[in-house]
Amino acid sequence: MVLILLSLATALLSYLLGARLNRMMAFALALLPGLGALILGVGTVDLPWFSEHIRLTLAPNHWGLVMLVLTNAMVPLIVLAGWRDGVHFSLQVALTFFMQAALNGVFMAQDGLAFYIFWELALIPIYFLALRFSEGDRFAVTLKFFLYTFLGSLAMLASLFYLYSQTAVGDDGHHSFAYAALQAVELSSTEGFWVGLGLFLAFAVKIPLMPFHAWQSDTYTQAPAGGTMLLSGIMLKMGLYGLFVWFVALAPESLRYEFIADWLNFRDLILIMGLAGILYGAFIAMRQNDAKRLIAFSSLSHVGLIAMALLTLKSDGTNGAVLQMLVHGINAIGLFMVVDIVERRLGHRDLTQMGGFAKSSPLFAALTLIVVLGTVAVPLTNGFPGEFLMLKAVYNSGTGACGILAALTIVFCAVYMLRFFQLSFMGPEKQVLSPLSWNEKWALMLIAGMVLYLGVQPQVVVDFIQSNTEQWLNAIAESGGMLS
Amino acid sequence: MSALLIVFLGAIALLFAGINRPEKALKWPAVGILLLAAATAFANWDWVSWLELPDTMMAYSSMDQMYVALICLVAALAIAVFEGLESLGSDRLGLMMLSLSGGIMIIGQENLVMLFLGIEVLSIPLYVLAGSDKRNLFGNEAAIKYFLMGAFSTAILLLGSAFLYGSTGTLVLSTMTNKASMYAHFGVYPPMLTAGLILLGIGLLFKISAVPFHFWAPDVYEGSPARSTAFMATVVKIAGFSALARVALAFEPMVLWFQSSVAIIAVLSILLGNLLALVQSSPKRMLAYSSIAHAGYMMLALTLVGQAAFSVESILFLYLASYSLASIAAFAWVEWASERSGKVDFSMFQGLGQNPWVSVNLVLVFLSLAGIPLTAGFAGKYYLFSAAFEIAPWAVGLALLGSFLSIAYYFRAFQQAWSQQENQESISIPVGFAVISALILLVGCAPMWFLP
Repeated sequence: MVLILLSLATALLSYLLGARLNRMMAFALALLPGLGALILGVGTVDLPWFSEHIRLTLAPNHWGLVMLVLTNAMVPLIVLAGWRDGVHFSLQVALTFFMQAALNGVFMAQDGLAFYIFWELALIPIYFLALRFSEGDRFAVTLKFFLYTFLGSLAMLASLFYLYSQTAVGDDGHHSFAYAALQAVELSSTEGFWVGLGLFLAFAVKIPLMPFHAWQSDTYTQAPAGGTMLLSGIMLKMGLYGLFVWFVALAPESLRYEFIADWLNFRDLILIMGLAGILYGAFIAMRQNDAKRLIAFSSLSHVGLIAMALLTLKSDGTNGAVLQMLVHGINAIGLFMVVDIVERRLGHRDLTQMGGFAKSSPLFAALTLIVVLGTVAVPLTNGFPGEFLMLKAVYNSGTGACGILAALTIVFCAVYMLRFFQLSFMGPEKQVLSPLSWNEKWALMLIAGMVLYLGVQPQVVVDFIQSNTEQWLNAIAESGGMLS
Repeated sequence: MSALLIVFLGAIALLFAGINRPEKALKWPAVGILLLAAATAFANWDWVSWLELPDTMMAYSSMDQMYVALICLVAALAIAVFEGLESLGSDRLGLMMLSLSGGIMIIGQENLVMLFLGIEVLSIPLYVLAGSDKRNLFGNEAAIKYFLMGAFSTAILLLGSAFLYGSTGTLVLSTMTNKASMYAHFGVYPPMLTAGLILLGIGLLFKISAVPFHFWAPDVYEGSPARSTAFMATVVKIAGFSALARVALAFEPMVLWFQSSVAIIAVLSILLGNLLALVQSSPKRMLAYSSIAHAGYMMLALTLVGQAAFSVESILFLYLASYSLASIAAFAWVEWASERSGKVDFSMFQGLGQNPWVSVNLVLVFLSLAGIPLTAGFAGKYYLFSAAFEIAPWAVGLALLGSFLSIAYYFRAFQQAWSQQENQESISIPVGFAVISALILLVGCAPMWFLP
């Protein structure tokens, strides 16, 4: 609650400050919720909300805590270097903080309805950011984005209603939306499939998994840089977090649902979607000349692997996936920041017209290279441990061919990321970049620092979430029998 | 009963006070009278109990009093957020309050005669109000259309009452319940009873404009002056749904007989209303279709009759309150924006997004209509859908689909609001808009306080 209230307060404050808000103040405000939570704790609450038995329960688990760290650490960086100066700076910052509040709620909610509400709420600020500040045919693109995600959300709501109606009636004669109660519901395979499908749709659209990705590239490309960072860096993690915590853990029965007996069940289907995303995203990314679009598709490719790893239901895989969610957040924000820094100076993002930035700005090149290597998952950068754990789990989960194909992600990623770096920073100097401003420099240095730190110390995260992961996997094994 | 008298006497007083004053000057006294009536109802303060009126005609339970308070507040808002007219006279304000007293009668009715009387008192001033802008041809069309349809539907309602009287021997609803439970006990319903119930239902469905009795609504809503439309879309719906709920609860023993037809009408209204709203080019007409869809959502509440765990009336109350708040604001915005820009299509919203304060208020209204969390609209929909899900999950599924469709047309206002590039003209909106937005947020964040 502390986190949410502080984020809302900073949102209101920066809106009221208007033109008086400068970048340093915005950065300080952005740090406030995180620092407040460090001092006061995240503030777990359990209050009656829609009625005495439908409560606002906020009590993050360890996975949620990792995501909260990501949210509250990255929002300051987005404020620091994501939004451009201008008359709308305070509005953009205010909406970002509003979004931060909703995201914090999503990762803390332990109650189905509260989760849904924060989930929807996170959509509102980013919709208006995209609508207001996008380029191109903004209305069509943002409406497509909103309709896609809203349809998914409504499917989730229907599933939550069903689970709610199946929960045991408590002492007060009512059903409950509490996470534990929803988790305790036993579903038949068919029931589970429909419930699971509703939940899955919401998350698959947000992640996005392969057939639900149509909104992604346009939205990522046309949204303003800060919006793209929010979308890819943090909002996407809502989908991945939800996929495991609110779909797999709530309706593990659905994973066994057979579309074609003994050959294709729901879990296989999701693995295939993930794999398709990995390959499709990578192939498209290799051919892109628009730097932002390239990174959008690389993101599609990376999250496909994370989704696969979550569905392995092995502790290595899921631990790796959580680690990679954190890492992907950092790296995606870093890469979009790099693209935005270049675009601000050149006015375009066409890779074929770039080149040789390394000569004029070596520091920028070095920092970018660190983030690029992190994305490629070179050992000692943050990408490596997560990808390694995930690929190991995917390979070991009985689908060797899947594992090998998924492992191609690293190769392909090296191809398009290095191409990106080569075309823009290496080669003959086609255009000169003016030096980085202080905020850009600091934001990138902080990101590069995180890339290196998590590359050397991934164990911090893995140890932190281990006990939680085991708990979940055991619960899933008991109710779903999938841990074979 | 006190609220009814206050509103009725207030209407008469206003009519006379308007003889030599412009309507504008009487706007706030009218609002004051309505607030007084609402407060009386809310406090359940009955200073005419010495009259000892028979309770087989009208009786106000504590839930009814909440409805009375709501309908008075909504009427007060409808008068407050619209600019009053410059011209002399207060006939329109007076007519609105007369119509409102009909609504209050409907809420308290215990007898089909009172229902009929209430509906007539509610409707007749509205026929006049629909055509009150005499220079507007569409207004005249709206008035005549509304009058014909209204008269027609009242006749059907009357025929239904006659049949019900014939089959049960009474017009008192509570006595009818006993008869109905007797029939339900044996599982045979005389045709005259079912025919009466169907006709009565049709008469009421006309009033709330549910599909397939909706076709008058778009023309009437579009043609009438915005203030009258806002009044029709909210006050009439509150009264109409209160009557429907009262009748449905009176025939609770027969719930299995009408439950599925109610759900089907609800779903048809939701889907048709939302689909047709998608293709409208005039915001006012779009709101008319959206109000048909909202009538559909509220019909879902009627499937809950006979469920001990839910109170149909309190679920409906919150939905009606949230719908009325947003609906009045939406019509007021449309009126204000078209006055400002001189346009009648969606481009009237152009440029409103430039000013953050204006856009926040505008956005809240449409988000609430669409049912996005933390607005009143979501609270209303949540209680309704989660309860109805246990009776008719398929209907709730389709209702959710309807909400999805509604996004596409509510958000068209936002498209226009942000379509124009920078122009730094200053825009100021009436205070009433901000008040409604604040209420929408308040109900959305703490819905528990508003559930009677």
